[in-house]
Amino acid sequence: MSEERSSPAPLAEASLAEAPLNVAPLNVLNVAPLNVAPETMARRPGRFARQLSHPGLMGGMIVLLLMMIVALAAPWLAPHSPLVGDLMVAQASPSLKYPLGTDQFGRCVLSRLIWGSRVSLQVALWVVVLSLSIGTLIGAVAGYVGGWVERMFTTLNDILLAFPGFLLALAIVAARGSSLDSIVLAVSIAYVPRVAVVMRAVVLTIRPRPFIEASHAIGMSGLRILFRHVIPNAMPPVIVVATVSAATAILAEAGLSFLGLGVQPPTPTWGNIIADGQAMLVDHPLVSVAAGLCIAVTVIALNLMGDGLRDTLDPQMRRQTGARML
Amino acid sequence: MARYLARCLAQLLVTVIGVVTITFFLMRAIPGDPATYMLGDFATAESVAALRAKLGLDRPAIEQYFLFVRRAATGDLGNSVVTGQAALTEIMQSVPWSVSLAFWGMAIAIALGVPLGVVSANRQGTWVDTAVMIIALGGISFPVFWIGLVAILGLSHWAGLFPTLGASSAEGFWTGVHHLTLPALVLGVSVAAYIARLTRSAMLEVLGQDYIRVARAMGVPERRILYRLALRNALVPILAVISVTFAWALGNAILVEVVFSRPGIGSTIMKAVLSRDYQLVQAGLLLLATAVVLVNTGFDILYGVVDPRLRTR
Repeated sequence: MSEERSSPAPLAEASLAEAPLNVAPLNVLNVAPLNVAPETMARRPGRFARQLSHPGLMGGMIVLLLMMIVALAAPWLAPHSPLVGDLMVAQASPSLKYPLGTDQFGRCVLSRLIWGSRVSLQVALWVVVLSLSIGTLIGAVAGYVGGWVERMFTTLNDILLAFPGFLLALAIVAARGSSLDSIVLAVSIAYVPRVAVVMRAVVLTIRPRPFIEASHAIGMSGLRILFRHVIPNAMPPVIVVATVSAATAILAEAGLSFLGLGVQPPTPTWGNIIADGQAMLVDHPLVSVAAGLCIAVTVIALNLMGDGLRDTLDPQMRRQTGARML
Repeated sequence: MARYLARCLAQLLVTVIGVVTITFFLMRAIPGDPATYMLGDFATAESVAALRAKLGLDRPAIEQYFLFVRRAATGDLGNSVVTGQAALTEIMQSVPWSVSLAFWGMAIAIALGVPLGVVSANRQGTWVDTAVMIIALGGISFPVFWIGLVAILGLSHWAGLFPTLGASSAEGFWTGVHHLTLPALVLGVSVAAYIARLTRSAMLEVLGQDYIRVARAMGVPERRILYRLALRNALVPILAVISVTFAWALGNAILVEVVFSRPGIGSTIMKAVLSRDYQLVQAGLLLLATAVVLVNTGFDILYGVVDPRLRTR
């Protein structure tokens, strides 16, 4: 915790001098030019291409895109119904009709995995949206306003971070019931402080920079500076954190589902497919193994994207963003 | 050092009070009436009223809060609704199981994670680095309960190296160790992956600094640079990593305990969640969060020992 108190490493010092007063609109795929003046962008046309050629970033993005397509196209891709099984073929081994076999209710495992992607990706999406918007705002205000607001924020954050994230999510779901809404809420509450911590650390490095002083000098209001200059310029590391929090959210949802606290059966989720498969682990290990691989592939894709964005956006934030996401 | 210590302890006190407060309000987040929730839909009106009176729910929220804090300070966290036993006693029974799992898990994680992180930072860009980082990426991306299931399948069922489930220490120390090894290994490997990744970043940062370049230019042996100059300065960030992973490991320990059907705080909390014994969930949550706060404070003090500069700030 004392790491937070130490002053954070300065961000992308190279771009410090050229920090623009007007910031280009935020573009998730191409965030780097935010810190770079327009003429610099023109001089370095290869930057966007270089980001895309980062193998991890590119690979992660392609895999994630494929997963999204699978989730959206589930009704057309799934060979069978994910909910209705044929008890005559329960626990069948893989065959042409059932490529990954069937579970104890005779439901097609492949179809359930395909439909299960919807829950995981939805949870990831909403957790990112919620924790990113709320965490960004709280962290930015704390870092920018300073004083007692910041002290209060730090204390509250320390308290929330004392709860193991997964345990906090579990307790909230236990209290509120296990609907998709409450899972999203629970995981978001557990991860908002982690985004906020990073945001505050970054804002602290932006606050003393000359272009903020200049904005004050030309008479901009504090609120306007916060939203026009501070938050957009602090976004790159926070986007990295958001990517990693999507990965953590998927793992947390899978854990809750595995414990029977996720979206309730018969709706398939990757976590409850693993739990179903646990009963027939020895004879038909493929069910649990395949569901685990689905989770891992998606999470690896997100982590690769996070690592790739970190490499291309600002290498200096590596340690802070990494350590804070746990 | 005395002032630094005092500040750490003052912060500890504030955080613990905060943890108690949040735990209290979390219980009030149950939609509707907690007593009805705990007794189920078929409870009689009298039994609900009796439980409400017993839990103090008929009093104003503020009064309830202060009562809760006062009781918590004396170690009274209410009684389990299911067994009627004191919630704290019930949780405490499972503490030794969890402590041994967490301790061995973290020991394995540190013993694996820190050296791997240091080696891969030192050989940045080589195949060693790539291999370590790929394994670590897998380690943080596979769900820990899935790693547990696969380990049970592979090492217990097929290879027959470990007992599958449970944890019986009644049959002697070595049987206990035998039962503990696989869960601790599973927990340790997943945490080691995080530690390795973060240790590598911390080492890379230190190795990129000017004084290391100067030492290299002066011909200081590489071993000495790595272990005497770099690792020492990377120690605070590495300690920070370990202290942060601790909370994360406790969360994962719940899943590991359930997968291996081990007794422990995690499986007690899970059982309490399923039987809607919210008093017990509350006690478990409070206990684990307090453990995290204590461990983090311990590490805060340790930073001051390792890095004298931090004491004066």
